Amino acid sequence: MDNGTSILKVEDVTLSFGGITALNNVSFEVGQKEVFAVIGPNGAGKTSVLNCINGFYRPQKGRLMFRDIDLTRLRPHKIAETGISRTFQNIELYTGLSTLDNLMASRHIHMKRGALAAALHFGPTRKEEIKHRAIVEDVIDLLEMTAIRHKPVGLLPYGLRKRVELGRAICAEPSLLLLDEPMAGMNVEEKEDMARFILDVFELKEIPIVLVEHDMQVVTDIAMKAVVLDFGNKIAEGSPMEVAQDTRVIRAYLGEED
Amino acid sequence: MDEGTAYNNTLPKLLEEQYLKRGEAQVAMRVKDRGIWRSFTWKEYYEKVKFFCLGLVHLGLKRGDKVSILGENKPEWYWADLASLSAGATAVGIFTDCVPSEIKYYLQDSDSTFVIVHDQEQVDKILEIKEELPKIQKLIYWDHKGLWFYDDPIMMGFEEVIALGREYDQSHPGTYEDLVSQVQPEDIAVICYTSGTTGLPKGAMLSHGNIVAMTRSWLEVDGWQSGEQYLSFLPPAWVTEQALGVAGSLISGMEVNFPEDPETVQENIREVGPGVLFYGPRLWESVVSMIQAKITDTSPFRRFLYNSFLPLGYRRAKLLSSKETPGLWPRFLFALAHFFVFRALKDRVGLSNIRCAYTAGSAISPDILRYFQAIGVNIKQLYGGSEQGLVSIHRDGEIKWETSGPAMPGIEIKLSDEGEILIKGPNTFVGYYKKMDAYNNKMTDGWYHTEDFGHLDEDNHLVVIDRMEDLKELKGGRKFSPQFIEIRLRFSPYIKDALVIGSVEHDFVSSIINIDMENVGRWAEKRHIVYTTFTDLSQKPEVIQLIREELKKVNRSVPEHSRVKRFLNLHKEFDADESELTRTRKLRRVFVEDKYGDMIKAIYGDKTEYRIEESIKYRDGRTGRIENVIQVNRVEG
Repeated sequence: MDNGTSILKVEDVTLSFGGITALNNVSFEVGQKEVFAVIGPNGAGKTSVLNCINGFYRPQKGRLMFRDIDLTRLRPHKIAETGISRTFQNIELYTGLSTLDNLMASRHIHMKRGALAAALHFGPTRKEEIKHRAIVEDVIDLLEMTAIRHKPVGLLPYGLRKRVELGRAICAEPSLLLLDEPMAGMNVEEKEDMARFILDVFELKEIPIVLVEHDMQVVTDIAMKAVVLDFGNKIAEGSPMEVAQDTRVIRAYLGEED
Repeated sequence: MDEGTAYNNTLPKLLEEQYLKRGEAQVAMRVKDRGIWRSFTWKEYYEKVKFFCLGLVHLGLKRGDKVSILGENKPEWYWADLASLSAGATAVGIFTDCVPSEIKYYLQDSDSTFVIVHDQEQVDKILEIKEELPKIQKLIYWDHKGLWFYDDPIMMGFEEVIALGREYDQSHPGTYEDLVSQVQPEDIAVICYTSGTTGLPKGAMLSHGNIVAMTRSWLEVDGWQSGEQYLSFLPPAWVTEQALGVAGSLISGMEVNFPEDPETVQENIREVGPGVLFYGPRLWESVVSMIQAKITDTSPFRRFLYNSFLPLGYRRAKLLSSKETPGLWPRFLFALAHFFVFRALKDRVGLSNIRCAYTAGSAISPDILRYFQAIGVNIKQLYGGSEQGLVSIHRDGEIKWETSGPAMPGIEIKLSDEGEILIKGPNTFVGYYKKMDAYNNKMTDGWYHTEDFGHLDEDNHLVVIDRMEDLKELKGGRKFSPQFIEIRLRFSPYIKDALVIGSVEHDFVSSIINIDMENVGRWAEKRHIVYTTFTDLSQKPEVIQLIREELKKVNRSVPEHSRVKRFLNLHKEFDADESELTRTRKLRRVFVEDKYGDMIKAIYGDKTEYRIEESIKYRDGRTGRIENVIQVNRVEG
């Protein structure tokens, strides 16, 4: 399968907190046309990988390259400006704002007008806002959120908040999307919906996706390639079917046989 | 308006007329898309229809062909409909929730050559069955979301067809006008499939003349105006939407508004503030329960206002329904009630500007109608169907909750000896597609047999009771309608479902009640009645008395012989998982009567208690047995 040119390179990344090594010499590459899964049991270091990519953590060793930009020393907001956008496992939204406002907020990095012009709100500023709103509305349509457009996010059920978060990440029009356990805590139907939305986004927007997930079923359904971590070490890499049959992976998930 | 000339009698010609008269100056329809209301003028409407029609013709559509349309209420539905009609073809509406096997039946039975669908969901259904449908030439969709990478050659986008039509118009100018002039009032405009209680659904054929006649007489009663807002939310596959939405707007010039999504209707209706609205009975019921729920949650002061003004509303509604003009003092009181409560209430549910609200089907409780009239929503009941067209309708100021109003202008109603409703008039359909035998069976001397049981009251209002075949007989041959009583019982907040029983072996009617756990529970808590489970609550003497009072209320509104004399509160809820209800929450009568056969025997016996032992299956597969004692109760009077 042609997964396109490599867009993200993680090279020998080592991250430790005091005596604990969260990531140990982890390397992998994500292609332009890939849904790439990072999987592993609890505490394997999956979220740490995402946090390194978007700059929340700074690895002690190794290098992260996004296209030809070295992310390793960049601050998170600078990384966001390079076109990497993400969702969080525990949902980070403005709970008091509506779905629409949350999505509009993510357009912030693309807005060029200053605070004063925005306050006066006429002419070019107004035009700019209309342009951003149109982009946001496309995402609302894509993720079927019309019915919750004006509802405060704090009042929405969990599954829908997850969807709003995905929407917010897409509204930033990223060139790489990081999803941290997008299906955690959902029931089967919600998972199916979410899987469909992720694939829709991938196909339509042609955004490569890095996905952290521990549900193997989800991974085999939507990812093209997966890397498996266990205690910070990469223990397998390949198609989800391949890694699911790898003995080391089975051992990591199910424990060692005596 | 120049009534009844032959020139006016086809829908494409009516569209052409509106286009010439209103053109770009007036909005014909509006749809909410991407959060914005987008409007289309009559010129745009006309052009979409014209070019889509030519596109279809270019793709091979011919006079007399059938075009199936499968989608939610959207402008594209109307355009596809009228485009097919302009080409001299017939439109076949299919409900969006049909499963592929049902759709296959409709497409095969109607010999459709084109299918026009809404979105990916419907496209997938058609692709699943397309191998078995060799007649289908093209599958046209209007919402391309999720379909970006589909490459089946049978598929085509709506806009692509319009573009084809535009080209075709350049190379063949005047074709569209020719096609339209060939369409005759006798041509079949739509085929509406009837669910049919027996056998497979049958396609009722309605001519342009049928639909135009139906809409004209309706317009005569309610006079919709150009510029008036209509919210389109009835399934377009239903004849009523064809008459009110499609033909209604073509004849009167009222503006049709399409909601963004079925889920956003409540929000959209507030933005539109329609003057004309048609909801199915279930939807009206849900609006009432929404209001009731909000009132329960509101501040005590507001609740007090609501509770003190509502009786005033009821009083006014009663005066109006008895054709009396309320005096100055009641009018003043109602103005107060309107100002303090009803105005805001109606605004919340988007009913502020309602001039004509409609519902149809015998399945609505008169109390719902009474409630809306009380808060000042002019709601009217109609009676009709795909075959008989629209038969009767309430006139302003003569609204009787129990009836479906007097006959529409131009319609004759009479009753057979058995009490079956017979209809004659220009609305009545032309026949069943490919099943003319069935049609002939239902017609005698131009009278259509509706298979509905009912009567005309002293003011010549039609009262529809039930389907003939659903009527039951008691010992001695007296007939009654279980459904008629059940609907009225269900309006009680304390009764969720009810099964009304009675047969030739029995002297009287009885009922199995499924109490509404939530409302009865709240009622019990307020009175400090301690209960544990549903079963326990249902058998509390106070709860039994509560239900008895509700039964007495309903008994007052039904004929003497069909009053419920005994009842019991079921120890559990009717459950779709146990096949007691259908997925749409309709009671499966035969199954339930069979399942509870012993219980029913006990009701008609002379014991006051019934012991039921039931095996239950736990989720993990184990089974257990539970014994419950159920009280058999009597209702006096």
